[in-house]
Parts: sequence; structure tokens; C-alpha cells
Amino acid sequence: MKKLLVMVAVMLTAAVFATGAFAETIKVGVQAPITGQYANEGQGIDNAARLLADQVNANGGLLGKQLEVFTCDDEGQAMKAAICGKELVNKGVIMIIGSYTSSAAAAAQKTYYRAEVLQTTDGTSDELVENCYWTFFRNSNPNSAAAAFTADYIVKEQDFKRIAIISDYSSYAQGLADAVTDEIKKRDGNIVYSGKIKAGSQNFTPVLTKVKSLNPDVIYFSGYYADGGLLRAQQVQLGIEADFIGGDANDNVDFAKLAGKAAKGAKIINVPTPEMLPYDSAKTFLADYREKYGKDIPSIWALLNADGMQAFLKAIEETKSTDTKKMAEWLRANEIQGYSGTLKWDKCGERVGSAFMVYEIQEDASYDVVFPKVN
Amino acid sequence: MDILLQQIVNGLTIGSIYALVALGYTMVYGVLKLINFAHGDLVALSAYVGLVVYMQIAGTIPGAFAVIIMFLVTAMVIAVVGVILERLAYRPLRTAPRLSAVVSALGASMMIQNGIMLIWGPNIRIYPSDILPTTTWTIFGVTVTFVQVVMLVITIVLMAALTLFINYTKFGTAIRASAINQDAAKLMGINVNMVIVVIFILGSVLGAVGGLFIGMYYKSISFNLGWNYGLNAFIAAILGGIGNIPGSMVGGYLLGLFTALISGYVSSTWAEAFTFILLIVILIFRPTGILGERVAEKV
Repeated sequence: MKKLLVMVAVMLTAAVFATGAFAETIKVGVQAPITGQYANEGQGIDNAARLLADQVNANGGLLGKQLEVFTCDDEGQAMKAAICGKELVNKGVIMIIGSYTSSAAAAAQKTYYRAEVLQTTDGTSDELVENCYWTFFRNSNPNSAAAAFTADYIVKEQDFKRIAIISDYSSYAQGLADAVTDEIKKRDGNIVYSGKIKAGSQNFTPVLTKVKSLNPDVIYFSGYYADGGLLRAQQVQLGIEADFIGGDANDNVDFAKLAGKAAKGAKIINVPTPEMLPYDSAKTFLADYREKYGKDIPSIWALLNADGMQAFLKAIEETKSTDTKKMAEWLRANEIQGYSGTLKWDKCGERVGSAFMVYEIQEDASYDVVFPKVN
Repeated sequence: MDILLQQIVNGLTIGSIYALVALGYTMVYGVLKLINFAHGDLVALSAYVGLVVYMQIAGTIPGAFAVIIMFLVTAMVIAVVGVILERLAYRPLRTAPRLSAVVSALGASMMIQNGIMLIWGPNIRIYPSDILPTTTWTIFGVTVTFVQVVMLVITIVLMAALTLFINYTKFGTAIRASAINQDAAKLMGINVNMVIVVIFILGSVLGAVGGLFIGMYYKSISFNLGWNYGLNAFIAAILGGIGNIPGSMVGGYLLGLFTALISGYVSSTWAEAFTFILLIVILIFRPTGILGERVAEKV
């Protein structure tokens, strides 16, 4: 009987303590595809957000309050995402981490804006920044940033005088090639060839022979790895000594397999994979993640979402408030050092600057970051 | 000048593959008046079988033997598949209207293509790059690789052997006789079923070699590669004269050169469109193809 009383007393105390803590938490919402096609990415975002929250809580929380994470599974679908938006707002969260897909992020965007809840997402679609919501912060870079970065590298950093641009007929590759072409022209670069190949047609020697006659310094290819690897192999086979630079869709292990020996020296421009990030903070975070979950973070996208959350937490710390208006103002005015480099936003929530890097493929098919140089 | 020569080398390389595959279309059409739409998929299957065979034996025996065994085993497997195809998809329909056989051929094509996808998956597979030496020669500014030379030599040897077989052996005579008139051939004591089986074996073996060339030269293979090469080889066969063996060889090389030159000098964007324009022009002005004789349509 006495035992029972003690137990009840303990439970009551715990309950009171729990409710007390409940009132004193800062609520963080995670909207991510926990199940479905992108489950792996969504779970990565959720895990990363929970890890960050645990770390903050272990250090005594923020403003004397603990962080509490609520997760809503949007399955990567717009309809579920809209429901998640309402659900998380009702829970009283002040910030949203996610979602993974642009369409799911966009579907809930307005709900968060109306509820004055901050949102950070890795979605790269342009529609996300069109509304210019003050609550919105994109943590990844759109394709236009890839184009600007590429043009900077080709024209300013490497000073290539004769540039050949090749794409395929996909809307993605054509769009990227067009954007790169525009950016190169803005920088007075000299494009000597611009043409298209048919994806999957395998035989690119006719086009490359034409390219060879124009004697370019660099060949930029905006298409996919399956064609990029062969293009590089046939380029080297034909003795075209130009540098090869591939767009982000070339970033696949099969690129080097297809190119064989010719893979060595080929360059790819993409946001880095998590383990390639040169910053110590990123290395520590990734090690912590591996320790807690027993596996690596699924991709850079989950890490970029963690970057967004980091920025929000930093804003709370700096403004000493959980008022989202003040946080947003602070975020638009300041720069934060994130895992993926400098985090800075324009007034529509577009990430300024660039997380892109140039990798050179080594003899053993591993990547080496050649630009930007990190000390 | 060296650009033109390089484009010719490029054209001859891809033309070798077209010619080998076109022969399969042409021989079947010559005897059965059937367009074997599944032929391109046999080529794709051969690329996969070859890769499996090579991966099994690579490293255990010297490289040259491994390549020879890869060619022999793959050719045998594809020949067997070709014979099964004839047996199941075409023989039961031999007396049916021709359209039925064409539909059956398309069905067989889809079955093989989807079968490849089920077994090996929808993603591209990659040939190791060290099957043959990667030696490259540069002559007058023109780059030629060892693989290209091997492809050209093997193709020409195979085509010469086929021509000799068809023209100078007793069985070759039987094939030619069956092509002209099956019923008369039967009356002369020719086993027409046997002739057709041999035709499918020969066509499949040549297609198998083409499939292995695709794997060894271009390295990446996908379950649907048969469609692209099949279509081009089919056009090559019509170009040279479908049913005419030397015509298909010439057609294959001509189409290879034509697409290389169009891509190089006009626009790679338009290469495919020009291929079809060429096909239409040929069909209008010389419907039997460049080397095609007037088919003995008796009235």
C-alpha cells in the first residue's frame, strides 16, 4: 500500500513537472516525407532536427526553455502537406523545418505565413520565393545560382577563352544550359559552340568532332551522368584536350565508371555531399548524427534543413525572443556560419551566395574539391 | 580535311553495328517476308548476356580468351533465343495474314525488352573499360582506337563469310531458293523449316556480335537500347534494299556515314529527322533500295 502511494506520488510529480515543462518549451515543427517515395530524405530531415534539438536541450535549452519537436508526415504530397501545415500551426510551433520537395513546401507555405510561423526548406523551385513571404527562408540554392556559379568559375576563375556548351533535350538540361549561357554572356565569355545531343544515343563522336574543330578550352555539359560519362570518354578518345565540366546531374558514381580512365580530371559542379563539406562544424555534426542514429545522414538536403534550423535557433538566441517577426528581421540582416557555408537571405527568402563547389574526379574515381579553395 | 576524315571514321564505326544488325532484318525478310521487330531487342539481350558471361570469367583466364569465350557463349545463347522466338512467335503464324506476324513480332519485342528490365533492372549497366586494350592511334589528325579497328575487321570478316556461305554452299543455294519461292523449294526437296531456323541462327549471331560491340565501344547498355539500334538498322536495311544481303551491308555503312556527316556539318539536332527524310526519298525514288533488285512479284 505504501509502495503504491509512493508510486502515485512520483507519477503525480512527474506529471506536474511534465506539464510545467510543456508550457515552457519552444515548439519546433518538422514537416517532411517520413513515409513514401522520399521517406529516406524525410527521415533524415526529422533526425537532423531532433539531433539539433537534443544538443540544445542538453546545453540547457534556449532562453531557459527546452526545445520540443513535432513531426508531421507529408509523404512528399501537396495535399498531405496542406494538412500538416494546419496541424503544426495548431500545435503552436514557431518554426517549420522542411519539407523536402518543393511542391509539399509550397502547399503549406501560405498557412505558415498567415500564422506567422517561420519556414525553411530545401525546395529549389522558383515559385517558393515568388510570393516573397517574410516567414520564408530557403536553405538550398536554386538552379539560377548554379548557373551564376558555373559562369563565374569558367570565365573569371579559370579564364577559359573558348567555351563549348552541350546539353540534351530535357527541360532541366536545356534550362540549365540556357541559364549558364546567359550568365557567361553577362561576363563577356566567348562561347564558340552550343549544341545538343540526344540523351541515350551513345554515339556523340559526330558532335565532338565538330567541337574539336573549334578548338575549345572547356566543354560544359548540362545533361545527365549516363550521357556525360560517355561524352567525356569519347572526348578524350578523340584527343580533345579541353577541360570537361559537368552540371549537377553528372554527380553519380556511374559517371566515372562510364568514362573509365578518361574520368580523371573531369569536373562536376554541384552542392557538396555531406562528407565533402570542409567545415569543422559540419564534420562534428555528421559524426554526432552517425553516433546517434547508427547511419550516415542520407544527403546534403537533410543537412541543409539542419542549417536552416540552426539559423532560426541562432536568431532566438540573438534577439532573446521567440517573436518570429523579430527573428525574421534579424535573419535578413545578419550572416550565419552554417554547415554548408555562409547562410544569408534576401528579402524573399532566397539564399544569397552559394553552396556550390567544383569537384575534380581523381584517378581512383574519388572527388576532390578544387573550388572554392578552403584553408 | 582531318575533320571530314574523322567523321568518316566515326560513321564507319557506328555503321558496322548498323550493318550487322541490318543483316538480321534482311535475311528474315528475304525468306519470310516478315519484319522481325524483336531483332533489335535480341541485340540488347546480347549486350546483357555478354556482360554477365564476361564478369563470370574475367580474371580467371587470359584477357584474349575471355573475350573470345564471351563472343562464343553470347552468340550461342542469342542463337538459341532467336530459334525459340521463331518457333513460338512466328512459325504458328506462318500461314496467317502478314499483319498477324507483325503484331506478334511487336509483342515479342516488348516481351524481351521487359524481360531484360525485370532481370537486370531499369538502370544502365556498364561494361568494364579494360575488356580490350584502350590503345589509340592518331594518323593525320584522325583518331582511331583499337576497339574501332577490331569492330571493323570482325564486321567485314563476318560479312564476307556470310556472303560466301550464301553464294557458294549448297545450303546457301537452299536459302536463296527458299527466298524466291518456298513452295517450289519444298518441291525440290529443300527442308524450308530448316532453312528458316538457320536464317534465324545466322541473324541472331550477327545481331549478338553487334550487341557486344555496343557494349564494348559505348560501355553503357540499357534495356531499351534495342529500339534505337533496331530502328536505325531497319532503316539501313531498307536503304540498301531489304532482302538483299550486300545491300544491307552497304546500307548500314551508308547510314552510319550519313548520320555522322549530318550531325557534324548540319546539326546533330536534325540528324534523326534527316535519316527519315533520306528514308522517304529512297522509298519514293527507289523503293527497292540502293542495291535491291526488283523483287520477283509475279503477275
